[in-house]
Amino acid sequence: MNGAQWLVQALVAEGVDTLFGYPGGAIMPFYDALYGASLRHILVRHEQGAAFAANGYARASGRVGVCVATSGPGATNLLTGIADAMLDSVPMVVITGQVPTPLMGTDAFQEVDVFGMSLPVVKHSFLVREVEALPEAVRDAFRLARSGRPGPVLIDLPKDVQTADASHLPPHAPAPADALPAPLHGPLDDALALIEGAQRPLVYGGGGIALGDTVGVFRAFVEATRLPTVLTLRGLGALPASHPLNLGMLGMHGTREANLAVQEADLLVVVGARFDDRATGKLDQFAPRARVVHLDGDAAEVNKLRHAEVAVLGDLCLALRRLTRAQPDCDDWRAQCLSRKTEYAARYDAPGPSVYAPQLLARLSALAPEAVVTCDVGQHQMWVAQHWRHTHPRRHLTSGALGAMGFGLPAAIGAQLQDPASQVICVSGDGSFLMNVQELATLGRYRLPVKIVLLDNQRLGLVRQWQQLFFDGRYSETDLSDNPDFGALAHAFGIAAFRLERADGVEHALHCLLACEGPALLHVCIDADANVWPLVPPNRNNAQMLFNPEDADAPLPA
Amino acid sequence: MHRFQLDLTLRRAEGALVRVLGTVERRGFRPLGVEGETRVDGDRWHLRLAVEGERAPGTLTAQLAKLHDCLAVEATPCR
Ligand SMILES: Cc1ncc(C[n+]2csc(CCOP(=O)(O)OP(=O)(O)O)c2C)c(N)n1
Repeated sequence: MNGAQWLVQALVAEGVDTLFGYPGGAIMPFYDALYGASLRHILVRHEQGAAFAANGYARASGRVGVCVATSGPGATNLLTGIADAMLDSVPMVVITGQVPTPLMGTDAFQEVDVFGMSLPVVKHSFLVREVEALPEAVRDAFRLARSGRPGPVLIDLPKDVQTADASHLPPHAPAPADALPAPLHGPLDDALALIEGAQRPLVYGGGGIALGDTVGVFRAFVEATRLPTVLTLRGLGALPASHPLNLGMLGMHGTREANLAVQEADLLVVVGARFDDRATGKLDQFAPRARVVHLDGDAAEVNKLRHAEVAVLGDLCLALRRLTRAQPDCDDWRAQCLSRKTEYAARYDAPGPSVYAPQLLARLSALAPEAVVTCDVGQHQMWVAQHWRHTHPRRHLTSGALGAMGFGLPAAIGAQLQDPASQVICVSGDGSFLMNVQELATLGRYRLPVKIVLLDNQRLGLVRQWQQLFFDGRYSETDLSDNPDFGALAHAFGIAAFRLERADGVEHALHCLLACEGPALLHVCIDADANVWPLVPPNRNNAQMLFNPEDADAPLPA
Repeated sequence: MHRFQLDLTLRRAEGALVRVLGTVERRGFRPLGVEGETRVDGDRWHLRLAVEGERAPGTLTAQLAKLHDCLAVEATPCR
């Protein structure tokens, strides 16, 4: 048995069932070991697709996603997907081939220091220079990827280590994830006292809720305390969109009721969130009247951007269970928050014959309530955040912190493979879609029944919107009106495609799309000048939202 | 401006030193001086780093403590 064969056995022993990759010279011994093995390897068509697919697999399942590439260009092509996993705390193990150890440091063919290049975007990494180091590296890689705040771990594997005799190595023994410490009683008592003493308390929940598998406990906490709640982009679904206490997303494209509640609250109970600038707007004017109770598994997030009066560190489940007994006295405040929610509810009765993307998305999520939705980056991503009826954070896969165009399609492939019975819908934009369009070949090859909704405004819409609002309408390089024929493109990969141009065709088109057995693409033509509202302009606070100027009921800017 | 010394104990693993220095700079601090050695036991780096920056020292030590190769980190103000 050689190192590569040992590694394949280790992956099986670790419980890995699927890996995503692309072969090449320095990783050939590993691919040779895969030949005939029980592991399912998904051949993507670009290594970035492999990293995003593993990333989507991990986000949807909570398990470690695995991807593989060769040295040099294969490894560098992975970097965006690795960075995305790092910034959004997604557990991944990334395996790269490397030139043989005697050639390392000699500028050999396809030699790139991927260990060095990836240092800022990995949770940890191993350069395995001898086969004896392989068992510890593999065990620690999986353990670290899923422990505490999850993240990507890279294993760089020189070719001669893959071919070295490994028959003397012990079989792989998976190591459990390290448990987070239990929160201390003192801060929990202080948190309880602050919650019970507050007049306008508000929960601000983030991506950490799903990372810690805390969704059920979080819901129980909100229901027991009846605290109004706002969520970050990555927290969406932690409370169902339909939940009466859910005021929706806060921040740059947040709801009016969420942003106003934050600005007026006298206490923020922050659960697994990190005061990201897209959520806070102008930081020094964020929640100006609020004290902060910050619950997080990652001590480095507390007091990083906003001082916390009380920090509850460690296991979120344990912390929230304890805080569930809080009995805040804030009926008036709650009533005010909830009445705003009714008053400011989104409207879907846009005039005119054009397809109104928010209406289409709200309708699609009603027709497919259990679906996993993945998206790319841009206006369509924000419309998904705002108008999809989110039911669980693991059913909303979005490149939150990195905001990487090209994420949606490969992430959908990963999500579909982690649960073949699930319904997976990818919402993309005409710009983003072409960033990893080659993965249509992967969809076609494996006949994965992913449904793609391509919202085509013939523009790099979100950038165009900023040019309109903040750059005097100077539309520099955002026109995509020479887009390819997306239907023909899908057909070329053996994928069914339909085109939708008018609002009165939405219902029929969505039914046709969902009725397709295999992969299918719905090409939706929307107005080029549609914008995402509300919007908090840069360097403004969250109460200074801009609204659609064409909406007669919209308030004037604050 | 905060000026302080970091006393770090690191696993003597490939990349450990670069990870620490990279984290210091990426998190907005400037290294002023670096001193260090491996001890007799041979598998630990002991590193003393003088740094300065606008942010609170705790924001950096918390990030360093998360590095897998960082076994201990302590910050003391520089005189
Ligand atoms: C890889 C990458 N490059 C550039 C950007 C900057 N960017 C953010 S949104 C956007 C436009 C996206 O256009 P499209 O996918 O058509 O979506 P739309 O906004 O039109 O819905 C761009 C270029 C990015 N986020 N990611």
